[in-house]
Amino acid sequence: MTFEKILFYVFSVILVLSATMVITRRDPVHSALFLVLAFFTSAILWMLLEAEFLAIVLVLVYVGAVMVLFLFVVMMLDTDKAAMRAGFVKMMPVGLIVAGTMAFEMFLIVGPQYFGLDKFAMPAPHPADYSNTEELGRVLYTVYMYPVEIAAVILLVGIIAAIGLTMRKRPDNKSLDPSEQVKVTKGTDRIRVVKMASEIKQEAK
Amino acid sequence: MEKIYLAIAFTPLVGAIIAGFWGARIGRAGAHWVTSVGVGISAFLSIIVLLGFISGHREVFNGSVYTWMISDGITFEVGFLVDSLTAMMMAVVTFVSFCVHIYTIGYMAHDEENWPAGSRAGTNSYQRFFSYISLFTFSMLLLVMSNNFMQLFFGWEAVGLVSYLLIGFWSNRETAIFANMKAFLVNRVGDFGFLLGIAAVAMYFNTVDYAEVFAKAPELANTQIQIWGDTSWSLMTVICILLFVGAMGKSAQVPLHVWLPDSMEGPTPISALIHAATMVTAGIFMVARMSPLYELSETALSFILIIGATTAFFTGLIGLVQNDIKRVVAYSTLSQLGYMTVALGASAYAAGIFHLMTHAFFKALLFLAAGSVIIAMHHEQDMRKMGGLKKYMPITYWTSLIGSLALIGLPGFSGFFSKDSIIEAVHHSQIAGAGYAYLMVILGVFVTALYSFRMFFMVFHGEERMDEHTKHHLHESPKVVTVPLIMLAIPSVLIGGMTISGVVFGDWFKDVIHVAPAHDVLKEIGFHGTIGFFFHGLFALPTLLAAAGVGVAYMIYMKNPEIADKIKSAASPLYALLDKKYFFDELYQAVFAGGSRWLGKILWKAGDQTLIDGLVVNGSARSVGFFAGIIRQIQTGYLYHYAFAMILGLLLLLALFVN
Amino acid sequence: MQFEASNLIPVVPELFILSLACLVLVIDLFIDDEQRIFTYALTQVGLVFAIFITLSVGQTEAQIVFDGSYIRDGMSDVLKVSIYIVTIGAFLYSKEYLVEHGLFKGEYYVLGLFAVLGMMVMVSAQSFLTAYLGLELLSLSLYALVAFDRDSKTGSEAAMKYFVLGAIASGMLLYGISMIYGATGALNFTTVTTALMGTGMEDIVLVFGLVFVVIGLAFKLGAVPFHMWMPDVYHGAPTAVAQFLSSAPKIAAFALAMRLLVDGMLPLHSDWQQMLVILAILSMALGNVIAIAQTNIKRMLAYSTISHVGFIMMGILAGTSEGYSASMFYAIIYAVTSLGAFGIIILLSKKGFEAENLDDYKGLHERSPWFAAMMMLFMFSMAGVPPTVGFWAKLFVLDAVVSVELTWVALVGVFFSIIGAFYYIRIIKLMYFDKAENVLPVIGNLDTRIALSVNGVLMLALGLFPAALLTICVRAIGS
Repeated sequence: MTFEKILFYVFSVILVLSATMVITRRDPVHSALFLVLAFFTSAILWMLLEAEFLAIVLVLVYVGAVMVLFLFVVMMLDTDKAAMRAGFVKMMPVGLIVAGTMAFEMFLIVGPQYFGLDKFAMPAPHPADYSNTEELGRVLYTVYMYPVEIAAVILLVGIIAAIGLTMRKRPDNKSLDPSEQVKVTKGTDRIRVVKMASEIKQEAK
Repeated sequence: MEKIYLAIAFTPLVGAIIAGFWGARIGRAGAHWVTSVGVGISAFLSIIVLLGFISGHREVFNGSVYTWMISDGITFEVGFLVDSLTAMMMAVVTFVSFCVHIYTIGYMAHDEENWPAGSRAGTNSYQRFFSYISLFTFSMLLLVMSNNFMQLFFGWEAVGLVSYLLIGFWSNRETAIFANMKAFLVNRVGDFGFLLGIAAVAMYFNTVDYAEVFAKAPELANTQIQIWGDTSWSLMTVICILLFVGAMGKSAQVPLHVWLPDSMEGPTPISALIHAATMVTAGIFMVARMSPLYELSETALSFILIIGATTAFFTGLIGLVQNDIKRVVAYSTLSQLGYMTVALGASAYAAGIFHLMTHAFFKALLFLAAGSVIIAMHHEQDMRKMGGLKKYMPITYWTSLIGSLALIGLPGFSGFFSKDSIIEAVHHSQIAGAGYAYLMVILGVFVTALYSFRMFFMVFHGEERMDEHTKHHLHESPKVVTVPLIMLAIPSVLIGGMTISGVVFGDWFKDVIHVAPAHDVLKEIGFHGTIGFFFHGLFALPTLLAAAGVGVAYMIYMKNPEIADKIKSAASPLYALLDKKYFFDELYQAVFAGGSRWLGKILWKAGDQTLIDGLVVNGSARSVGFFAGIIRQIQTGYLYHYAFAMILGLLLLLALFVN
Repeated sequence: MQFEASNLIPVVPELFILSLACLVLVIDLFIDDEQRIFTYALTQVGLVFAIFITLSVGQTEAQIVFDGSYIRDGMSDVLKVSIYIVTIGAFLYSKEYLVEHGLFKGEYYVLGLFAVLGMMVMVSAQSFLTAYLGLELLSLSLYALVAFDRDSKTGSEAAMKYFVLGAIASGMLLYGISMIYGATGALNFTTVTTALMGTGMEDIVLVFGLVFVVIGLAFKLGAVPFHMWMPDVYHGAPTAVAQFLSSAPKIAAFALAMRLLVDGMLPLHSDWQQMLVILAILSMALGNVIAIAQTNIKRMLAYSTISHVGFIMMGILAGTSEGYSASMFYAIIYAVTSLGAFGIIILLSKKGFEAENLDDYKGLHERSPWFAAMMMLFMFSMAGVPPTVGFWAKLFVLDAVVSVELTWVALVGVFFSIIGAFYYIRIIKLMYFDKAENVLPVIGNLDTRIALSVNGVLMLALGLFPAALLTICVRAIGS
């Protein structure tokens, strides 16, 4: 067994375990943290496949950006943990049976019978100066130009949808609008003239 | 080229749609203007087309306008076949229709009096009437201009529908409703045969296009088919007789003639348009159009000949005892249609079509004249209450006289030429039944003269039998009524002599109507010019019989009116037989109407109420509703249930397909 | 590969719609609420232009550009034009509804245009990747549209369900595509088809992938048992959105099925045919039966859509060009009919009142004879009663199925259509024979009324003259 293989099995086990933890932990924060771990280990698996650029992007985007945001949301929301787990035990047996059957079916197909090492030739190793990133970029901007453009449009729609659905003027919003602030006029807006008697008479005792 | 044909066919439709849907908005004048102008344009263009064919510079047009659908290799199209036959029919239909449109303006002017006050059907009935007659013109044009069986059938049914609507136009009258129901049902019998005939054509020829069918017909001439059992039938005979059954319904041949007299319940203009001049001739036209098929079956021709001859003579006899002025004309129509059918049976298609044309003019004329009399008599139709109208209504009188003379075939009038050529053709025919047919048509001439002039004398001469009030108001009809009369009187006199040499004995129908050399009776007559034909006919048997008929009518109804009563009492069984129209109505009423009602009742009780309503409809509705109520529970509204359903679906498909 | 500008010509419609969407987005920022009508007008005019552009770049021959990820052929041209027309119709109907419900905003049109773009990408997809991306673009726009009325709880709930289930379906589709990629090593359809021909059909990995792809499709079409989102989404979404959702995307879903199954995996026909038979029969059965028990007309129409989807799949599974064109005819006709049926709901809905209960249709004939007649035409067309066009649509599909010796499937289809006729005709009965509870006359905006009248008359006109549209469909498939 080569060193690479050992690495592969170690990280695969960690990946499966952490993924299981994601869906079984009670606390959503713990789940999120296990998800981070799952991302890391899969990045390492990609690294083993010589897909260095993708592995780094996975860490940067998913771990660095998405998961941090996700953790913020989870921590700020007051979720009812009991309600989320209601019915878990009741549903468990059915879920397990269905999941088990699925896993079995998938194992039959995706397993070594059809995707075993003997089925696919070993890809030729790349020379040391081979740049993964460069190759990816070349393909993305030539052969896959059309899909890339569409993906860009999808992101644009995502932005529009998110802003359109969340942005609104709320009456209880206490933030200040600078442009409104500088519009104040000197006289009536800033100074309030209060008229009162110049002297208060002392009541004679 | 096809634009002019499209315009001819569709301008009446446009008029009908405008007058029908927006009748209330455009008012009476709007309705009659839009429809009359539409039909007028159509008539004008038809005459241009006809003139084009006469002068010979217009080519036969055969093309499709729109492909409706293609099913199992059979193309169903809307298309036009315009040749000399079609051009002639188009001109006749649109010209008569145009006259009738104008006439209707006068006839229906006071239509609101025919409806009970405040009746809903009575509002805008005037506009509706115009819409109907324009729609009829459109349907009839589609029928005659068709180049395939499907469109023919469409036109066939459409004219039937409009006829139904118009016979029952005064829907508040019990008799009108009965009459239109009768017309519809009797036509259904004929149309059933017609549809079977078309189905047989589609089945064996695998096309419904005329040209293709005709081209293929000689190949299939000797095909034998087995309909049931081991008896084999000639395919051509089966197709031809089935198609002719349709013609019998539409052209009112015995025994499917019973609807036509009753259809006189409708307003007079449509009696003239539909039940005299155009629609009833559809059957005649159809057989002439199908001549390449009919020529292949002598059995079918004999069948046609005998049916036609029977109709020609026996329905004429009934006309002798009718007292309703319109019914006399109706029976005379039946009899004349019999003459046309006889001509078809004798393979003298050209003569049949020729008679169709001349008859269209003088019969429309007679109907419109009868209508004019009816207007003057305040909608009294009983001839026993008329008499001496000559001095009150000179134009109606003279035009009626022309119509009657044309009808009985006075030499020189158009009816003479057409009727004489039919009689001569039958005389020369050799096919089975020709002898019987000759006897019938010869006797028919006498009967025709007798009933025509009986009516003429009873209406316009003799003592004035109407009541004082009516008499006081008698006057000639307005111009919109009399002008069409004059317009129709001119062709009634002239058209026969002008066209016989070309239409019947010339090349007019060359390549259009196909006659097998063995059947070509018209050639055997030996035609030597119109003048020769005229002088030949002048002292021939038919003319003498016609003169005798007029003479007898004069003797009985002018000189000695009591003779009529004497004959009536002397031959009372015969009179009863004629008065009851050979008991056809009673028979049909008892056997068919009664029988089907009886059957219907049984089916309704046993089949409908218990089986279908009880078990099938309500039972299945209840069980479906029950299941629906249960299954809808699946839709819980919970997201994870939905996702779970998807996973189950995935598992199901995986289990079924991946193994 | 060298870049050639002429390769961009087939994509001009997509580029145009994209620019239009961005233009509308930017312009809308600078105008006040009172001038919002300008956004609307710009969108509509743009869509009309798109029709001309698409027709003018159209050729008879198919063109494949962008290294086999994009195709422009007869089918894509016809379907794109029908998508524009249906979308124009949907926008026409919805304007008044949006104004009354305070939803008349620029984003509605921007998202609508992006949805159109997504559909166009799907229609013109020539590789699994483009098909998937088009689907996502469409879905994302639709999720946002369903949640468009932020104050509506049912709307948000529906959007949430739609989003989650849609994500699951997308996941399955992607997984299936990855299987096929694994087995054939290619993503674009021509290469995949060639590879499939070589491997033969017993390759189980391919069938495994196919199952997942079919499920992704079935979800998009709304076939049982992947239909659960439809009733809730139709019910929860604003009526105008439900109308859009039920019309144009069905055409796109048909195109997606055609591209993935026929263009991409025709050698696996015998497998996907059986899958579609199961899904089609389940859809027709369940859709028609459950629709009977509905009292809410939007839910009823959702189940009716499910049953119509069964018919669309029936044409595709026939596997002949006759079947494809029948199915295409059916999808287009269904979209147009559905547009009209929802149009009537929009017409009758007023501010603060949604005419979504069946009882709201009682006595409609007394309130507005013309629109009751239009609704009757829509219902007859959906039920497949001649002379409306729905009859022909059903007939062509059935004919196609019978001609490939699957008569029993056709019989099942007819059987459930008869059951389905019940709930369509029930609406007609309510409109014509029941007493109105609400006697107010129907007042609608002029454009809604015109759109409805044209739409209704179209049902009849196409029913009398079906040949023109059918010929277009047959030609589109044939090329």
